Amino acid sequence: MRLRPRHLRTRLTLWYVAVLASLLVLAWGGTCALLFLQLRNQLDHFAVQEIETVEGLFYFTPDGGLHMREDYHNHPESKDVIERYLEVLSADGAILLRNERLGSRTLDGEVFPGEGIGGYFQRTSRLSDGTPVRLVSRVHLLDGRRLLIRLAHSEEPLHSLLRELLLASLLVLPVVLATAGLAGYSLARRALNPIEQMARRAQEITPERLDARLPDDYTDNELRQLARVFNDTLARLERAFEQLRRFTADASHELRTPLAMIRSVGEVGLQKDGTRAEYRDIVGSMLEEVNRLTSLIDNLLTISRADSGHIQLHRSFVPVLALAREAAGLFEILLDEKGQRLTVEGDEGAMVEGDPVFLRQALVNVIHNAVKYSPAGGAIGVRVVRGEDGVVVEIQDNGPGIPVEDQPRVFDRFYRVDKARWRESGGAGLGLSIVKWAVEAHGGTVTLESGPNSGCTFRIHLPAATPPHVSKLT
Amino acid sequence: MKSLALRGGAPYKESVNILVVEDEQKMAKALREGLEADDYSVRVAHTGEEGFYLVQAQPFDLVILDVMLPGHDGFEILATLRKRGVKTPVLLLTSRDAVEDRVRGLDTGADDYLVKPFAFPELLARTRALLRRGSTETGQRFKLADLEMDVAQRAALRGGQSLDLTAREFDLLEYLFENRGRVVSREMLARDIWRETSRQTPLDNVIDAQMVRLRRKLDGQFTAKLLHTVRGVGFVLREESDS
Repeated sequence: MRLRPRHLRTRLTLWYVAVLASLLVLAWGGTCALLFLQLRNQLDHFAVQEIETVEGLFYFTPDGGLHMREDYHNHPESKDVIERYLEVLSADGAILLRNERLGSRTLDGEVFPGEGIGGYFQRTSRLSDGTPVRLVSRVHLLDGRRLLIRLAHSEEPLHSLLRELLLASLLVLPVVLATAGLAGYSLARRALNPIEQMARRAQEITPERLDARLPDDYTDNELRQLARVFNDTLARLERAFEQLRRFTADASHELRTPLAMIRSVGEVGLQKDGTRAEYRDIVGSMLEEVNRLTSLIDNLLTISRADSGHIQLHRSFVPVLALAREAAGLFEILLDEKGQRLTVEGDEGAMVEGDPVFLRQALVNVIHNAVKYSPAGGAIGVRVVRGEDGVVVEIQDNGPGIPVEDQPRVFDRFYRVDKARWRESGGAGLGLSIVKWAVEAHGGTVTLESGPNSGCTFRIHLPAATPPHVSKLT
Repeated sequence: MKSLALRGGAPYKESVNILVVEDEQKMAKALREGLEADDYSVRVAHTGEEGFYLVQAQPFDLVILDVMLPGHDGFEILATLRKRGVKTPVLLLTSRDAVEDRVRGLDTGADDYLVKPFAFPELLARTRALLRRGSTETGQRFKLADLEMDVAQRAALRGGQSLDLTAREFDLLEYLFENRGRVVSREMLARDIWRETSRQTPLDNVIDAQMVRLRRKLDGQFTAKLLHTVRGVGFVLREESDS
């Protein structure tokens, strides 16, 4: 036997039936108990009234015997409908009188101290033959003598009423529960049916068919919500897959280009006999392509590690201006060669909390970009500004700028504005995508502003850091 | 071979034994020929086990150990060797450029670590560095043809004339002198002169431009060129005409 049913609908039904059963038992039991107490209360009330009545009927005969007038009935047989048991005891516990119905049986036991004095004493007891009774005691003074009156009624009718009720409930309850269970089960199944349908539809969705969607026209809010959430997830997955597909295609294209060159240079070189110098040149040219491949693969590796979240940032407090100066310093000689002017200025105290290696990489790539595309004699400005919510680094050049239609894509992988020129400037179009990754990994943003012939301004925004001496350890 | 004359200055190398543990035939052949061309005597093992027994059977001055080996990988073999007290310097070769791998390699007891694909001059430089360990000779003065350099004085002369070098150019020349006759790759320069740790920093253009300047100062007005570019590989300081 399985303790936990596998189907949700079975489990729901079982829960439902169990809850219903316990509620019914509680309600039924409560009703019975209340009924019983109420009836017993009435019995007590009745007994008290009868005591009041019989008190006035007692008298002593001259020989000291106690008697009770019973000649007040209009018809002598009326006596028989009286169901009370009556017993009168003297102060020392001697039995003075027992009524006919009680006969030789005893009502309750020994007199206990204070019994019946100052009020009516009600309790449940048994006759000597075991009949359950509800008993009331009361002390009464007659001719200066103290009489203890005990008057009782049988509880038997109450008990049999309870028994009948219980029996009825035992017969009715299973029927009620079974009906409720069946109804609950079919209800649960009907409610869960769309989910099963969804599951079947979802199962048909494979990486090749990621464009499929679940119907989201359910009338129930919950199901509609579920279908929409699922569809949103699918859409995100589809986008991610598409990106991956494009990335793989682009990457293999980029890898194929240098490979094709190595191959043709090698093949052509072997077709004819050359001089030593010619061969050296051929091998050298092939090695140049190998170097290009190597750096391409290094970049791809960085990107793939970044994508899979395998790069851990080793954060520390980084002075941005110093980092920018250092990054710009790398290109000093190139600037000099091309007669370009590069200025780095800004707020000395601008700090961010981040990984200096990747932040530097980002700055190096953007500055390199500016140096590469600015004309000879151009000017490049790097400005570090501390704002309210962070630090902004602006890298501005006065190169040819980037056409508006290309701007949204410059941070895409393998994207190059000038597709023909990339080999001479050396780059596979990964630099800016690495910048974007590095900046976003630090919770920042990078944007581009460019107009025709007005150059480019890259703006890197990084969230501010609290200064080191008041920062908490993280 | 024109370059033989230069190598003649280092006869001690005849006795330097290197063990290469590499399963890829082509790679092993390239390593053997490249190292032999630099006058090392080379023994190749094609499996980790073979390498393991060779190291214990005969003394080597250096082990070049590939990490990706069939059966027991390089890390395991290195760990076992170190456990047995073998202190021979080990240079690990791997195609996995993950920081964890690097750390693991150095923790296991490797002396250096090189990521495939590497530039051959780089391998030679590391090899020399590992063999030199313990006996560092700092060249105070260098001389090649009519080029002279005094490192302590930070002075460089060509044909008796003082060359006006910037600090970086001076460092470059010193580095080229230390490796004279051998090609230095851009990667080596990026790491050792520009102190650039990331392989992704686009320094090639910078290095090329710097070299153009140094050459202008060094060889500009002289017919005998000393600083040469080896296409696809790097630069070399030697006394010969461009080939």
